[in-house]
Amino acid sequence: MISTIYIEEEIASHPRTLAILERFPEATKIKCERYGEIFNRKSQNFRLQKKQPALILARKHKGLVLPTPKQYAIGAEHNYYFSHMLNCLYDCRYCFLQGMFQSAHYVLFVNYEDFIEEMDSIINNHGNEPVHFFSGYDCDSLALDPVTDFTSEFIPFFESNPRALLELRTKSTQIRSLLKREPIKNCVIAFSFTPDKIAKTLEHKAPDVNKRLQAILDLQEAGWQIGLRFDPLIYTKEYASEYSELFNDIFSKINSELTHSISLGGFRLPKDYFRKLEKLYPDEKLFASPQAEENNNIGYPAEIRNEMLDFCENIITQHISTDKFFPCHETI
Amino acid sequence: MINIFCALHCEAQPIIQHFKLTESKQFNLFRIYQSKDKEINLSITGVGKLNTAAAVSYQHACLNTSASDIWLNIGVAGHINIPIGEVRLVNKITDEHDNTTWYPQIIFKPPCKSTNLITLDKPSTDYQDALYDMEASAFYQMAIRLGSAELIHCLKVVSDNTEQSTSTVNADKVKKMIAAQIKTIESLFDCLKPLSTEVSSIISEPEHYQYFIDKWHFTQSESIQLLRLLRQWSVRFPNEDVMPSVTDNKTGKSVLITLSEKIKNSEFVIHD
Repeated sequence: MISTIYIEEEIASHPRTLAILERFPEATKIKCERYGEIFNRKSQNFRLQKKQPALILARKHKGLVLPTPKQYAIGAEHNYYFSHMLNCLYDCRYCFLQGMFQSAHYVLFVNYEDFIEEMDSIINNHGNEPVHFFSGYDCDSLALDPVTDFTSEFIPFFESNPRALLELRTKSTQIRSLLKREPIKNCVIAFSFTPDKIAKTLEHKAPDVNKRLQAILDLQEAGWQIGLRFDPLIYTKEYASEYSELFNDIFSKINSELTHSISLGGFRLPKDYFRKLEKLYPDEKLFASPQAEENNNIGYPAEIRNEMLDFCENIITQHISTDKFFPCHETI
Repeated sequence: MINIFCALHCEAQPIIQHFKLTESKQFNLFRIYQSKDKEINLSITGVGKLNTAAAVSYQHACLNTSASDIWLNIGVAGHINIPIGEVRLVNKITDEHDNTTWYPQIIFKPPCKSTNLITLDKPSTDYQDALYDMEASAFYQMAIRLGSAELIHCLKVVSDNTEQSTSTVNADKVKKMIAAQIKTIESLFDCLKPLSTEVSSIISEPEHYQYFIDKWHFTQSESIQLLRLLRQWSVRFPNEDVMPSVTDNKTGKSVLITLSEKIKNSEFVIHD
């Protein structure tokens, strides 16, 4: 799977680096000074690199934990996100990472201890108020968990900090390490969904909708709280019937009591990212969708966006109380 | 198109012979050899970074290269202990002069092992655990301005090491070493050609784009809009010729309106 590993000199002897290298004895190992020498260079082709991404082991120096934009909250006043990885195993055509990064290689920041120290300090700064931490903005939280041991390192920290909540955003079915341990109340495993036909068209290499749903059922049975993320909502002529079918399928099976939150938002990208993706995938139908430009973002025209949001909101709120529902009604 | 750069004629000669390249007489600053179909082009750069950078730049200017082209620096190099005659693809290039590094992106199953390389200003027998040459950093630094990191590579055959130093190397031996690696060179072409084809498909203009530009007047921003609309057209209506819908338009602006109205007013289905 991984045939090339770049290793920053600074973390070459970090225990996590050594453990990961041991898993890939056949991979070509290449030392580098800083991961940006590879990852941030221009004249790289994201689409080509996605065929065989390398792994880059690095140290995150600053900006380890950052405040989230206000509209992405799920019930708390203080919200932060962090990324132990950059880039994702999957290849979802709507993903903003393709527009944001020059390279498709996976960067793994092995200094988890520094992330945890920073979170600890943020939690202390907020006194007794709840603080939410989101993982999965710049990567899939669980897809590489068997390699990265991300959950087994971070969940014990949240277990001992019950005022904080961890959201693990994912499309992955790599839930073994979660099922192996006792669930904690302040962790939400939030699964992203689009209807089956749309997922098959756009979410390349990601587990299919049924497998994700099965992962939810397994987690709920084990006592974990789950979240549902219908973001981005993808427009197609028959979107109403496709999303109805998806919602029916999900809500007829899951345990609403163990559903922490549901959020949704229309497909939108910063204009620069959209234009970059359009060039990378000129034959991709998604980029020939009905579109409008507002505030330097490109998304669906307001009438389509609002119609879809209202339609989905009506169905979702029939299944879940409004205090668990967090629609993203931002303009694009 | 494949662009190859060799410092010496003895490094190039087996490649010229195998791929039946002939010298093009229209270029006189550097000797450029081309295949009959002009798909393979080889420059003999001369030794050193300045010559190499100049040759890459010259070939680009003379042959009007494309962003989907393959760029290769092929030659011999020293190494502390890799046996003479073995070949390596380069996965890291360091310029000894200023310690700048580049990382050629090997996103395919390479036809041989890969290793790191140091480009020197002067020949040296103070071998380290890296290939030694005098051209790769300049080649890469210039080629990366013209192409994509996944399509730019250095392939080096080990000509000298601590046991057999540079004094044992001569033109005849170099020819034989390179000739022995022709299959590796061909395999490398096979790895890179599909990637190059994919880049070509990404950067190619949509059908009829040039016809539109010739027939109607478009400002710079309108021509970008046209490009985008023609792409959307081909995605939305793959079986419908665009021409009948726009033939009656008198201006570029009205063409753009016609195209965008037609796209806007059609139903959108994202999957088949």
